[in-house]
Amino acid sequence: MSRRTSVGIGRTRVPLGPVYGLMLLFLYFPIALLFLFSFSTNTVLTFPLRGFTVDRYREGFGDAALLEAARNSVVVGIGAASIATALGLGVSIAVSRFRFRGRLGLFALAGLPLIVPFVVLGVSLFLLFNLADLPRSLFAIAAGHTVIALPFATLILLARMGGLDPALEDAAMDLGATYPVTLRRVVLPVMVPTILSAWLTCFIVSFDEVAIALFLAGGDPTFPVFLYGQLRFAQRLPVLIAMAVTLTMLTVTLTLIAFRLGRRKE
Amino acid sequence: MLGRRGALRFLALPPYVWLAVFFLAPLLLIVAISFRPETGPIDFDDPWTFTIAQYQRILETPAYLRRLGMSVVVALVVATAATVLAYPIAYFLAFRARERAVFFLVLLLIPFAVSYLLRVMAWRLMLGGEGAINSLLEWLGVISAPLDLLIYSPVAVVVTLIYVWIPFAALPVYAALQRIERGHLEAAADLGAGPWTRFARVTVPLSLPGAVAAFFMVFIPTVGEYVTPSLVGGTEGYMYGNIIQDFFSQAASWATGAALAVIMLLLTLALVAVALRLIDVRRLAS
Amino acid sequence: MPARSNLVRRVPAILAAATLLLASCTGAEPNELLVLEWAGYEEPDFWTDFATANPDTNVEFEFGSNDAEILSLMQAGSQSDIFHFYTGWQQFYVDEELVREIDVSKLTNWDAVPEEMKALGQIDGKQYYIPWDWGFTSILYNTEQVDDVTSWDVLFNEDYAGHISMWDDGPGAVTVSAYINGWDETAITEEQLTQIEQDWKDQKPLNLHYWDSEYDNLCPEVISGDIWVAYAWQGCYATALAEGVPVAYADPVEGRNSWVGLYGISAETDSYELALKFLDLKLAELTCSNAVTIFYYGCANSEVMAGITDEILIEAFSIDNPDILETTRFTPLVTAEQRDAWTAMWTRVKAE
Repeated sequence: MSRRTSVGIGRTRVPLGPVYGLMLLFLYFPIALLFLFSFSTNTVLTFPLRGFTVDRYREGFGDAALLEAARNSVVVGIGAASIATALGLGVSIAVSRFRFRGRLGLFALAGLPLIVPFVVLGVSLFLLFNLADLPRSLFAIAAGHTVIALPFATLILLARMGGLDPALEDAAMDLGATYPVTLRRVVLPVMVPTILSAWLTCFIVSFDEVAIALFLAGGDPTFPVFLYGQLRFAQRLPVLIAMAVTLTMLTVTLTLIAFRLGRRKE
Repeated sequence: MLGRRGALRFLALPPYVWLAVFFLAPLLLIVAISFRPETGPIDFDDPWTFTIAQYQRILETPAYLRRLGMSVVVALVVATAATVLAYPIAYFLAFRARERAVFFLVLLLIPFAVSYLLRVMAWRLMLGGEGAINSLLEWLGVISAPLDLLIYSPVAVVVTLIYVWIPFAALPVYAALQRIERGHLEAAADLGAGPWTRFARVTVPLSLPGAVAAFFMVFIPTVGEYVTPSLVGGTEGYMYGNIIQDFFSQAASWATGAALAVIMLLLTLALVAVALRLIDVRRLAS
Repeated sequence: MPARSNLVRRVPAILAAATLLLASCTGAEPNELLVLEWAGYEEPDFWTDFATANPDTNVEFEFGSNDAEILSLMQAGSQSDIFHFYTGWQQFYVDEELVREIDVSKLTNWDAVPEEMKALGQIDGKQYYIPWDWGFTSILYNTEQVDDVTSWDVLFNEDYAGHISMWDDGPGAVTVSAYINGWDETAITEEQLTQIEQDWKDQKPLNLHYWDSEYDNLCPEVISGDIWVAYAWQGCYATALAEGVPVAYADPVEGRNSWVGLYGISAETDSYELALKFLDLKLAELTCSNAVTIFYYGCANSEVMAGITDEILIEAFSIDNPDILETTRFTPLVTAEQRDAWTAMWTRVKAE
């Protein structure tokens, strides 16, 4: 590729790298602060910081309720992300490869949850479960999370599907493959990285979600619900931050692994 | 036998069913409830009577609608700022970080793994009277006393929300930028267009659907936001979403809360309809 | 076969959904209790005597965040065997037939409960509720920034603009106004309520913010000196004293307010005896004193209260002042209409 055709701004190269670096700094600064606090002996979240200790981490790992809440969040996140990604895949393939009467309607419907404020969705699902005489539970939360994650999955997958040349699929079918086989052996393999990123996005959306979960949590809280409740007690805050930091590390590691795998498939 | 048509049913039906049960049905329920008389929590065994009393009450209280207007403004500011700030990031990812884009993307999303609540709490810490920002400004001599408007104000809500949304806003813009074929830019260069011209007349227009998607992805949920305002908004940063939440929890007046929710839904639908006039939705779907 | 391959792709998703469904099914087994609680109260310290006596019982918790929500959850058919709420709401559960009468003969710690508190748990002479945690509401103020506080109207004092914090609660606001104006809390007229609404709308700019969570957005700011005057419970008073902040807890001329936390047993429960034992052992010495030393809340066991030696706690509970309970005004019962009117009023104040 000749230098003349390299994209970007050519000779008047805007230093985007540093801009990106600054942005990362901006994003990480509050988190760095939290990280510092998890090692301090402060009981309230104000400066100055006093003392150094790893007790919070020790306490956190010994706190059964906290760990259970974290586990609940993971379970709900996996469930919601899996269902949302699967459904989103269905929508994106249907909308981009087929012409049918409800096409725009399906696309609009899949995106509609974005328009509904979480508080409304949370309350209305609560009412629905009420009406059906079902208790508040992790399943209720997962159902709600699937609904809000679906637009994200759809948009991400659709964007990629849009960039996929249908000629590839036509070629496969010309060679005698049925459409489902084409999907499985031509489209899906190419889509895997995008599917992974859609899944991860959905997982993160669910894992962190508090507005809906607050309305639908029964006896088993998710981590944000647990956190929101524990905010009452200043003594607990550093421990919670320590656990949140730990969870962050875990998620990061998982994400890196997932992306490593995704790239190897490519 | 599952042919192409059969595959379509398999692809499209499950989403329809799931959304019908867990999305449309609950919304219809809430609309229905907004027309019931106010009885506090709803007892579904009570007879269903129809009344528009809740809507009347709301329309008679200008404060509620004023808050709705304020929430729209806050959402506009947050969405615009987040999209604009996300653009250079997305550009960097799409054009500068080609092979390592995924790595940088992950770096961008890591803050998201930290609980939203705690990130907001960290901002409260930074914005407070003895917080990082005020201490820094005082130390630099820019101010002599802590700035009051930084915390427990609409400003605090806006800043915090922009912070929360930037990484997410970058994603659709990045996706759109990624799809731009090099060929277009090469052709423009061949025709003598300079780098800024290429940016303004090829890159930006082609990435516009992504930017618009980012804008709406941020704008719409922010109109109904209630958690951040309750943590850093104070008395002035009280938003429409807080009114709804208060009616469902503190005031336990579900019918009124439902009516407020329906009003907000109608408004956002109207705004989206207007926006869809401006961009061709088929372009997004194709 | 093509169809199956699509299905195979979906199997993980289907499995995930099925697992979730199964995981959420809670069968009603005997040796189990579900308690509808406020966040923080699920701590093992606050039912430790029961845990020791019944180690095999599985105690789970469901959460509400304010009295209105707890009531609506019970009305909506919560499966909880026990629920926890605060004074002012006793009548509603009885009216809605949500609560079962307490058989006090089966309680071993009942004699240690003060008579005034037993009375609060009674409706029409029947004992429906067991008191547990209690405390005062008064003005917490910074003695270096604020002159001696003698009245509730200090919350409206413009000298302290930007450093005041009121509790985010409609009935609480009405109570304060009733005290200041000398009105009967249980008989607030429409005219009076309109006046109250306007007063609090005028007061709003004086606040740093409304607080809703003692240790989250009240106490840290009292300690850091951002808040000088606050409507507060004594928990923050004790905490601030412990941090060495120069604070005082007022004895206003209109009197302090007091609230009591009450536990009721659900009318729908299958585990009445177990629930009764749970509540009985909440009043036991260790559990009760944990409430005092960890929450800085009072506990309804007078022997435990009398045995407090910590100076800060004695200060916080005014234990040295034997007349304090006489000048304290317990939150009265109000009707549902009043409650709704007051909370609607408060939402209008906040939206203004």
